[in-house]
Amino acid sequence: MNKQVKKDVDIDAIERDVQGNILRSYSRHLVRHLMLEVTNVAAARRFLGVAANGGSEAVPAITPGSDWGKAKPPSNFNIGLTFEGLKALGVSRRTLQTFPVEFSQGMTKRAMKIGDFGDSAPDKWPAPFDTPEKVHIVASIHADEEGQLDKVEAQVAKAFTVLGVRDGRGLGRGKVFFGYKDSISQPRFKWVKDRTQATADEPLDPLGTILLGYPTSMEDMSFRVPYPDALGLNGSFNAFRILAQASYDYEIYLDEAADFLLKHKDVDLLLPPGAEKKVGKGLDRHAALREIVAAQMCGRWRNGTPYETSPDTMDPDPDVSPTNFDYSAQSRCPAGAHMRRANPRGGHIVQRIATYTRRLVRRGMSYGPDFDPDDFDRKNPDRRERGLLGNFLCANLGAQFEAVMCDWLNVGLQTPSITGTNDPLLGANTAETSRFDLTLPDNAGTISIYGFPRFVTARGGAYTFLPSLTAIRYLSEL
Amino acid sequence: MTNKDTWFNRYVNSLPTRGWFKLLSRYVVVPYWIWRDPKPKLPGGPRESPQPSENTQRMMNLIMPLKDPSPMGRAMAAMAIAQNVDEIFSGLDNVGTVHTARFLILGDNLCMISVYDGDFSNYIRDFIETIGSVFDAVISQIKGAEHMIPTCDHVEEFIEWVHDHDLFQAPDFPTDLFALQDAAKGLPTDGPAHEIMTLPRDLILQLHANPNLSLGGGYRSYPGYSAAQVRDKFGVGW
Repeated sequence: MNKQVKKDVDIDAIERDVQGNILRSYSRHLVRHLMLEVTNVAAARRFLGVAANGGSEAVPAITPGSDWGKAKPPSNFNIGLTFEGLKALGVSRRTLQTFPVEFSQGMTKRAMKIGDFGDSAPDKWPAPFDTPEKVHIVASIHADEEGQLDKVEAQVAKAFTVLGVRDGRGLGRGKVFFGYKDSISQPRFKWVKDRTQATADEPLDPLGTILLGYPTSMEDMSFRVPYPDALGLNGSFNAFRILAQASYDYEIYLDEAADFLLKHKDVDLLLPPGAEKKVGKGLDRHAALREIVAAQMCGRWRNGTPYETSPDTMDPDPDVSPTNFDYSAQSRCPAGAHMRRANPRGGHIVQRIATYTRRLVRRGMSYGPDFDPDDFDRKNPDRRERGLLGNFLCANLGAQFEAVMCDWLNVGLQTPSITGTNDPLLGANTAETSRFDLTLPDNAGTISIYGFPRFVTARGGAYTFLPSLTAIRYLSEL
Repeated sequence: MTNKDTWFNRYVNSLPTRGWFKLLSRYVVVPYWIWRDPKPKLPGGPRESPQPSENTQRMMNLIMPLKDPSPMGRAMAAMAIAQNVDEIFSGLDNVGTVHTARFLILGDNLCMISVYDGDFSNYIRDFIETIGSVFDAVISQIKGAEHMIPTCDHVEEFIEWVHDHDLFQAPDFPTDLFALQDAAKGLPTDGPAHEIMTLPRDLILQLHANPNLSLGGGYRSYPGYSAAQVRDKFGVGW
């Protein structure tokens, strides 16, 4: 059942067969995720059959991965199925057994591994994620106008029971909550043209990093392709996550960290007197220290400039590449920074063999009310729920998504100096035990800051399988 | 029942050593309870924990049944290790998260006992990625594992197989056994509290399902530190 790894690759055929949200981003303004239950199997299969064959007046077409050129559709429609969803559609037990165990168990059973405990625990998730066995499909509609979302949702609701809806949007200028420009660095796949990553110089990732049935980044190792090929080939897996971001608490923590640093004996090493003007336009010393903490915690300044190549200023002149840099023992980007934990690039890590093997494609949009980190009311805490509707795509959830979550973002096994600490932005932190080490220039050591809470809390999610169009047809004909 | 040192209490406490009671237990009481309240086999290896300190120095007790347990078969297994031991050890070095590992022939099994940091699946996957082709020679001596050779093409299946053959680790806090047994049966976690006096019975029933087990997570002289942290402190490179 293995060894379907192909030597000759017809990338055009693959792009026509894979769903369109996998290899490239749609760059739309709006998204609507529908959590669906299959309650009428015949209606569901009919819908999928039409959707995978170009759609009709009453059924939206699944958007494939092929380039649509100038004929941009008014909306994009894609689906991911949970293990329960495959079962509900009538997939045989024999076939179900060929799916990986993390997928068959589902996200809620893997909670401890991926840091979903405490306030993030699945038993605290709101509907429909409090009944994970009923969430069969996560359907995603991308569009630029709300009317398109409503239209497609109404079509979908005729074939499935809509258990829940989550709307997301771009916050503008590529930003997400916490005020960072996001989605700058993504894996680049062999053979796949992606103009957003055209100038990136990270090694190309083999197609098996994201699609089932191709060579993986682990030399000689292949991931099992679910049986039969019609179902498994050109499929991908997704960790769909609803991640609440405590924007207000994050900004307040930056205030506290800057207060702490102003009194620290080594503060002049971190920020020489007078250097605050260089950090960013119009910043005083306190504001500059806030931005330094924010930049070191993430690995990028909030405007996207990498901290590694521009540690003194967020506006380097001449400009630096947003993607082309690497880490070393002398790096200014802290080993504990979010971005470096998630992708240590070519830097030395404890698990030498894992270098460049745990890559994830991230596709996400924000949800919830606006929050302006430059202008908010400190006296009246605005803790309304807001955050990210995130998709973390890969060929193997265990080897990629979970591997990053459990050993790198949390625990920090990849570098001895951060082992025992969690990711400052995304990690399962508690104020009593959290620690982050800020780097100082010229290898002058570090300043540790403490006391930050968990800023990102899981509020729902599911492991889904993103079948190829061939596979959706296969499911429609069961 | 009181804790007073009465003749009756002394007698009850001595029951497990009395021949008639041992016979009764073996042939009637235990089989009855196995029928009435069967316990599923509990999974092997350390459990996931939110404590960072619990995620370093985790124990693996991998018990692999020998294909041929005769002296000749044992010699074959010993040879499979001896011929590949240098590569296996340098592979473990490359995995980077391993404190110690050793091989035993015990009973009719080949055992790999090791202490590692972090996630179990990552450990096994990285191990196979590093030296899968060498380790296949070892796996070829094991009963019921032939279908996973070469392991690098069956990595998910191999990880599950190892997990299944890793010894169950009895909890360090005895009463935690209740929650593990409930979870294995798919019972809700917020059910009624268990009576402490049923613990011995539940342990006996579990030992029926998991005859071999690790008694707790073991002793660590420097808890919470990873192999790389120790190497770093000694300046031997990580």
